Amino acid sequence: MNVIEIKNLTKMYGKARGIENVSFNVEEGEIFGFIGPNGAGKSTTIRTLLSLIYPTSGSAAIFGKDIITAAPEIKKDIGYLPSEVFYYDNMKVIDLLKYSASFYKKDCTKRIRELAEIMELDLTKKIDDLSLGNKKKVGIVQGLLHEPKLIILDEPTSGLDPLMQQKFFDLLEKENKKGATILFSSHILSEVQRLCDRVAIIKDGRIVTVEKISTLKENTYKKFKVETKSEIGMEHFNVEGVNQLEKDGSTISFLFRGNINSIMKKIAEIEIANIWVEEPDLEEIFMHYYERED
Amino acid sequence: MNIFKREMKANRKSLMIWSIGVIFMVASGMGKYSSLEGSGQSMNALMADMPKSMQAIMGTGSLDLSSPIGYFGVLFLYLAVMAAIDAAMLGANIISKEERDKTVEFLLVKPISRTSMINSKLLAALVNILIFNLVTFASSVAMVGKYAEGDDVTGEVTTLMIGMFILQLIFLVIGTAIAAFYKNAKKATSLATGILLFLFILSIAIDLNEKLDGLKYFTPFKYYDAKYILNEGGFDSLYLGLSALLILTLSIVTYVFYRKRDMNI
Repeated sequence: MNVIEIKNLTKMYGKARGIENVSFNVEEGEIFGFIGPNGAGKSTTIRTLLSLIYPTSGSAAIFGKDIITAAPEIKKDIGYLPSEVFYYDNMKVIDLLKYSASFYKKDCTKRIRELAEIMELDLTKKIDDLSLGNKKKVGIVQGLLHEPKLIILDEPTSGLDPLMQQKFFDLLEKENKKGATILFSSHILSEVQRLCDRVAIIKDGRIVTVEKISTLKENTYKKFKVETKSEIGMEHFNVEGVNQLEKDGSTISFLFRGNINSIMKKIAEIEIANIWVEEPDLEEIFMHYYERED
Repeated sequence: MNIFKREMKANRKSLMIWSIGVIFMVASGMGKYSSLEGSGQSMNALMADMPKSMQAIMGTGSLDLSSPIGYFGVLFLYLAVMAAIDAAMLGANIISKEERDKTVEFLLVKPISRTSMINSKLLAALVNILIFNLVTFASSVAMVGKYAEGDDVTGEVTTLMIGMFILQLIFLVIGTAIAAFYKNAKKATSLATGILLFLFILSIAIDLNEKLDGLKYFTPFKYYDAKYILNEGGFDSLYLGLSALLILTLSIVTYVFYRKRDMNI
């Protein structure tokens, strides 16, 4: 079942582009990454899903219900963490969380304590006395306190120190195991790589690709570096799927995409001293997608 | 109900300051009456000798300044202006502040519709202006009563305060309609008070220049004129109708535009 279904969603700000023809689905129970550089349209897509802004054309459904007409109902089961958290300044943390909880028809007191403990958040402080990172923690607790079925995170890690990020990711994985679906928007690839099952890459307001993280990696090249015992001509590796072939003394390096067996056979034909095979990280894949589009 | 409670709490301080302000205004305004009291009819004569423009600015005209309630009629104009400023700012602020402070990303992802959000906020604003009005009413009855020496002024003050409440309602929805229509949340409040100031100056200009008399329908400050209310003992039904029309239209504008438009985050 699809928790989020987006069909040709377009949002224009006057003549300026927001997003164009964005379509993708997020399945129940998955952690879905939404990745792209700043200004690509991630927040616009998310804010449209939350009906903070309305689409110019196209439509989207969450839990099978239209995002505009069924908005209040859908939001019972959504937890949202915005990229920048802003709250009513003269409130204490606990008051804000209670205010937030009061919108959901269930008792969240226990859950608030639990989450605050995990995130090491002082509930008695005033919100305007909090640092950026601590405000973010308030946002995290606030977004999760009603045990939502869908968690939408917009650049959630900014302001959190690495230790807290780790705790936060653990928390998300736990929520996910309990059945929550997560839409995770970010421009940092390593965190998406760690958490997500599938990812949509957005660029200039358009979806470039939607792929499984594993497929993304499979479908791309591997980096080979071969050190030979005796110097051989690099034409040996000049076969299909190889590019950026380079030779430096007895070391030959190249990128390969295709059936791994064919290149292994090629390597087996010669006497080698050492070999390095490297998986490109998402960063490189990402750049690759971006360059290809240009 | 939670938004209503939250708004009541958020506006508590400002309501208290306005209430103290209006009590002070009534007390000090009526306090000046005691110094006039001795001069009796001569005050009326003095006023009548003044040029019409001076009378207009003072807001006197045909009010009997020698009676406490007549004198209060002059003061009423300023109380009404205060109440209107409070209402307009409150209306513009209560809607626009969520965008201005970017808390709209918190509030509108909760399981509530924009309509129910406005309902709660309007209700809170309504209670706020009602309290303002009751404070003004109570302090006025007390202060005017003190000088009226036995004459019961509650009836007249009540009528004046009902007029003031309708005026407050009009400016409240002017505020909310501007905040709902206007995307720039930071400027909504200043625009609302700007419009109020313009309407107030217009009402004085109409007093100063008879040629402008036709414009009186355009400024709500002319609708609830103390002279008319005290002399006739009630309201002009044309103005009542106009008020109802304004309040209704601007309420609809508030709901329709706020429901339709993109939040400015």
